[in-house]
Amino acid sequence: MSPDVHMTLIDAPIGTSVRIRHLTSRPEISTRLRELGFCENAIVRCVMKGYGNIICEVHNTRVGLDSGLARGIHVSVPG
Amino acid sequence: MRDRLGSGAAETPAAREPEQVTRLRLVALVGNPNSGKTTLFNALTGLRQRVGNYPGVTVERKEGRMRLGEDETVLLDLPGTYSLTPSSPDEAITTDILLGKASHTPLPDAVICVVDAHHLERNLYLVSQIIEQDIPTVVALNMIDIARRHGMRIDVRALERELGVPVVPTVASRGEGVAALGAALVARGRIPQHGGVRFPEPVEREAGELAGMLEQVHHLKPPQARREAIALLAAEGSHLERMHHFALEVIAHVRREHEKLEFLGFDRRSVFVESRYAWIRTVCAHAVTRPATQGASRSDRLDAVLTHRTWGVVIFVLLMAFVFQAMFSWAQLPMEMIRRGFDALGGAVSASMPAGDLRDLIVHGGIAGVAAVVAFLPQILFLFLFLGFLEDTGYMARAAFIMGRVMSRVGLHGKSFIPLLSSFACAIPGIMATRTIDNGRDRLATMLVAPLVSCSARLPVYALMIAAVIPPLKVLGLVSLPGLTMLSMYMLGLVMALLMAWVFKKTLLRGGPPSFIIELPPYTIPSVRTTLLLMWERAWLFLKRAGTIILGASVLLWFLASYPKLDGGTPAERLDHSFVGMAGRLIEPAIRPLGFDWKIGIGLLTSLVQREVFVSTMATIYDVGSNGTGGALPEKLRAARNPATGAPAFTALTGICIMVYYVLAMQCFSTVAVMRRETGGWKWPLFQVAYMTALAYGVTFIVYRAGIALGMGG
Repeated sequence: MSPDVHMTLIDAPIGTSVRIRHLTSRPEISTRLRELGFCENAIVRCVMKGYGNIICEVHNTRVGLDSGLARGIHVSVPG
Repeated sequence: MRDRLGSGAAETPAAREPEQVTRLRLVALVGNPNSGKTTLFNALTGLRQRVGNYPGVTVERKEGRMRLGEDETVLLDLPGTYSLTPSSPDEAITTDILLGKASHTPLPDAVICVVDAHHLERNLYLVSQIIEQDIPTVVALNMIDIARRHGMRIDVRALERELGVPVVPTVASRGEGVAALGAALVARGRIPQHGGVRFPEPVEREAGELAGMLEQVHHLKPPQARREAIALLAAEGSHLERMHHFALEVIAHVRREHEKLEFLGFDRRSVFVESRYAWIRTVCAHAVTRPATQGASRSDRLDAVLTHRTWGVVIFVLLMAFVFQAMFSWAQLPMEMIRRGFDALGGAVSASMPAGDLRDLIVHGGIAGVAAVVAFLPQILFLFLFLGFLEDTGYMARAAFIMGRVMSRVGLHGKSFIPLLSSFACAIPGIMATRTIDNGRDRLATMLVAPLVSCSARLPVYALMIAAVIPPLKVLGLVSLPGLTMLSMYMLGLVMALLMAWVFKKTLLRGGPPSFIIELPPYTIPSVRTTLLLMWERAWLFLKRAGTIILGASVLLWFLASYPKLDGGTPAERLDHSFVGMAGRLIEPAIRPLGFDWKIGIGLLTSLVQREVFVSTMATIYDVGSNGTGGALPEKLRAARNPATGAPAFTALTGICIMVYYVLAMQCFSTVAVMRRETGGWKWPLFQVAYMTALAYGVTFIVYRAGIALGMGG
């Protein structure tokens, strides 16, 4: 089995489910992201990118994030 | 009300021991944004609060009364929140009330926690915090029909066991489950909880120790002490210094616990949220079954087009162009019918009354002024039909997403686009909608520029000017010039709003790049009832204003335009001699550089209260000035001549300058009042009036001079 590939959410391929490893945004923003479901170990699917934003699905809910926030979400793609 | 939901909903309360059957005086309705709280509020109270398919429709607490058995109870509809850690002013309203910190509202006797069944996991996060508050709680499992349609099966009994509170499936939009919810609330049955959120053992131990200390030192009750203990353990070390309301020994203890947990390898910031989501996963494993594989949903397919990198913008622009085109052309027939109706009324009154001041007052003062404004009702209804459609389908949040890049260029985030889009209806809901913005500077910048977006009150001014001076030509054989002019005015407002936001973010409200998180609701077919309700509400508001402020202003203006009386002379000379004429000549030098005569100046003055008054003012002035002859108002304006030069008083350039002035000037007392309330003082509203007036004057002056240079003056 090949090892997991690590990247930030902005680089996650569209349509792929990834697992959140850790968050590096400012503490209050990380707290908000976690409460919205972007917590460590959660599975996120990237749905769409564009306009400097990204749409992804977490806990069955679709959320739009700006690319700055998506860069602060470190994920791994199963290899 | 008939209950078709079953699943143990109706029998839930009766099956258990009632915990305490005292009278409920205050019940709070809480839940995530867009979980259907307001729809449920309307179903429970019979009221008609505004709902929409995008997060953040309710930004202030709303109160209604509902019957619970024999008693009447106050039901509070609170702004949606994702957790009890508020990050924006609207969320703070909810958490303050639920935590008993609000000075104006007592702690509720019970809570209805509304969860969106289709997005159960995320919604259960708030539930996990609310059930720890020791307030009797009933969970409304709302939109259960949508969850079922997506193949989700929810075992309501199992969910109740996991949460330890009654759960009632509801479809608030159809009133289903509402009666059972009321019954569950009256019974307030307590269900033995199967588990509950547990943090890792060392964290639990430290939290327990700290909670004990808080109970002793600050005399907090156990649930409150535990909540504060968790908040303190998760807090940033640097924030502790600012927590002066805690005793020094408590803060010192917290610091030691921080060090201990970090030594043990726990990330204090994530462990609490992670544990809650771990508990949610257990709850869902016991109570929820999802279909094994899910193909591309309808929302997936629509998002692929509507938020597409290229097509998303094209569709957005075409949609906006269609709205303004339709607003202008489709409304013509009903507008004409309203005009004729008022003409007939004026004619009938004239015929049935003897000539004299009273007849003039009614016909030229009252009817002419009100008719001029009411004629624009169809266009306003069309505007709200389209806005209602955009809100109800779920497209509004996508529009915010599409505009994300543009908004970030000017230093705002995509979420600010929703208040700006709401301001197309009226700046007041637009300014209120900024409460969902978490950053204070971004919120203020959005509030300062929201009134630059063309609201429905400007529509009559644009429509009158366009009808008077813009010829009904086709551009490229497709788009009508009047429709295009209208669109240009709306675009000018939006562009100036973005430009000014950029200026403010670069100067007065300098701050780091904003972050943008928005939940995108699933697309839904718009509800005809909701849209009609919105149109009716706005029509009623518009007519009420026409019948009060505009009628009053018209009558007053008729008086000022008719007295002091001049015996003999032409109608125009009599107007010149009146109070209005005197005031007009006084202000004329100030507005002459904009190409405006004193009659327009009177319109600018009277419409300081609200913009539509400009139209009724023109109607009254030109009616008095022409003695009620000369047909509809646009024709009268076209026929008006400058008495000194004989040149037309309203050229295309004058009309454009008036419109540009109205795009940019404040001219609305209600907006100033709301700004004062929202910013807590006069500083920002006065600044806003000053900058908008200066902007309106400056830009109009440039447009006028440029028009003259291009030979448009004649």
